Amino acid sequence: MSEKPVIEVVGLTKRFKGLTAVNDVSFSVRKGGITGMIGPNGAGKSTTFNMICGYYPPTEGKIYYNGEDITNKRAYEYTNMKIARTFQIMKPLKNLTVLDNVIASCYFGHAAAKSREEATERAIEVLKFTGLYEKRHVLSKEMGTPDQKRLEMARALATKPEVLFLDENMAGLNPTETAEAIELIRKINESGVTILLIEHIMQAVVSLCEKVIVLHHGEKIAEGTPEEVMNDPYVMEVYLGTKSEDKKEGE
Amino acid sequence: MDVKKAVSGYRRNLTIVVGALLAVFLVLPLIVKTPYIINIFILVFYISTMSMAWNILGGMTGQNSLGLAAYMGIGAYTVCLIVTKLNWNPWVVSILAMLVTGLIAGVIFFPCFILKGPYFTLVSIAFAESMRQFIINSEFFGRASGVGLPFGEDSFLQFRFASKVPYYYAGLIMMVAVYAIMKRIDNTKIGFALKTIREDEDAAAAIGINPTKYKVIAVVISAVIAGFVGFFYASYIRYVDPDLMVQAKSTEFVLPAVVGGAAYVEGPLVGGLIMIPLSEFLRANFARVLPGINMIMYAVVLLVVIRFRPSGILGWYMDSNFKKFIDEKILKKPSLDVLEEYQMMNYESRKGGK
Repeated sequence: MSEKPVIEVVGLTKRFKGLTAVNDVSFSVRKGGITGMIGPNGAGKSTTFNMICGYYPPTEGKIYYNGEDITNKRAYEYTNMKIARTFQIMKPLKNLTVLDNVIASCYFGHAAAKSREEATERAIEVLKFTGLYEKRHVLSKEMGTPDQKRLEMARALATKPEVLFLDENMAGLNPTETAEAIELIRKINESGVTILLIEHIMQAVVSLCEKVIVLHHGEKIAEGTPEEVMNDPYVMEVYLGTKSEDKKEGE
Repeated sequence: MDVKKAVSGYRRNLTIVVGALLAVFLVLPLIVKTPYIINIFILVFYISTMSMAWNILGGMTGQNSLGLAAYMGIGAYTVCLIVTKLNWNPWVVSILAMLVTGLIAGVIFFPCFILKGPYFTLVSIAFAESMRQFIINSEFFGRASGVGLPFGEDSFLQFRFASKVPYYYAGLIMMVAVYAIMKRIDNTKIGFALKTIREDEDAAAAIGINPTKYKVIAVVISAVIAGFVGFFYASYIRYVDPDLMVQAKSTEFVLPAVVGGAAYVEGPLVGGLIMIPLSEFLRANFARVLPGINMIMYAVVLLVVIRFRPSGILGWYMDSNFKKFIDEKILKKPSLDVLEEYQMMNYESRKGGK
């Protein structure tokens, strides 16, 4: 732990009335790496994500970004701090073209474009990078899921982030599309962007992430490399539903 | 330099078409002398302008306001009261009227923007109605009988004319100017922020847009324009009473935008040009036959448009073969790629020149 982490989460807790969705979760994200967050449905992954991104105020706990406390920052202040996010349920600007979707992003954040031309130029650059250039004049509501997921990433990238949060960016994609998405995420990471992602598809997590955090019932149950985590008995129990007694009987 | 040629050809054609359209409006009062017809066009001008003011909030930002008539009323009252009581020049007061309406809108709606969707609409209705009740019950505002502007000789300085023609031109200029401002907003940072908020507020926050800030900006721009239209209205009618601020008036300003196509800057103009003459025509020709039938017919037309063309007349036009025909054969519009290349070429050369 010689290097300072980009994102550090300490004792994050979220209670909705009586329900504790996330309980005392702590972890850190290394600069330049890809960190994954996995867990069964309802484990509190998205809630954790939304707290880190300023959408829900945490009930308890702190979030640090480069050592600075950002727990109480509002969602719209994040791109000014060079942090961008995507949404699990895609939120394209439906009635705008793909190009306009990205131009809108170019106008905001820490590197906001000064003129329409500058915004357009940068939007085209991002669209070429994400492979959406050919479809730039299509209305975004008319595109399929894979392209909308790409557009989510393009919009986030257009704000020139240093840290990118991806919320289930591969859900609903077929194997070929998943492979393409993995390729794109790796490309983004290689360009120097730190990534924290939530994912259900293990193939993606194993091939991309250097570190994985496992959540279950709102609590962190494991942390480590994908191999370590997948061989963790408790994680296996949670995912496969086998109790340790059953396992012994079977053997 | 094919790109340059294609684009400049298109620009020239576009200028000719728009210029011809403007020329028709400019010449019209010289040919048509009936004050009744001129009056209808003045209605078209100021109602379309109000509709554009609504459109920046309702169409562009997706915040459905139904209280725009109140801002127009505030503008009109400011002008009438200050001109009669303090005897200031109406043009000076018009600026004051815009400031007052903008300020009132900003201060009142700033806390209201935690309300979303229909709740915001309800607040806008309540605001308009409470303003009206306040004025009806206030001696200072002349209660229900309203305030009149002094009559007198024709004077540009007093913005006072016996004939309707000067108002016709003033209204036309006002409408074109507001359109130009709207077109400009649509193409810049504010426009993109407002459209992003309309599509999805969470997505807007994710790219760094402060939704409340931009919604207040939209409300204030909308109110300022409405305040100016209030000045125009007061000067034209030379009288203002609380009936100007009733709910029906606010709705009247929404219709041109919705019928024309609320997603487009041009929507209110197209809708206004069709719906207002239609409404006047129905009133003139059918109201005597069977009182109220004109309203029913108007409502039927409205229902048909909204049922079959929910994106408005322009929404239909944008997807139609008719537009394709006009773009290709008459305007000779180059493809989007060519336009984009041209825009980028200009940008590069300007960057190089600096």
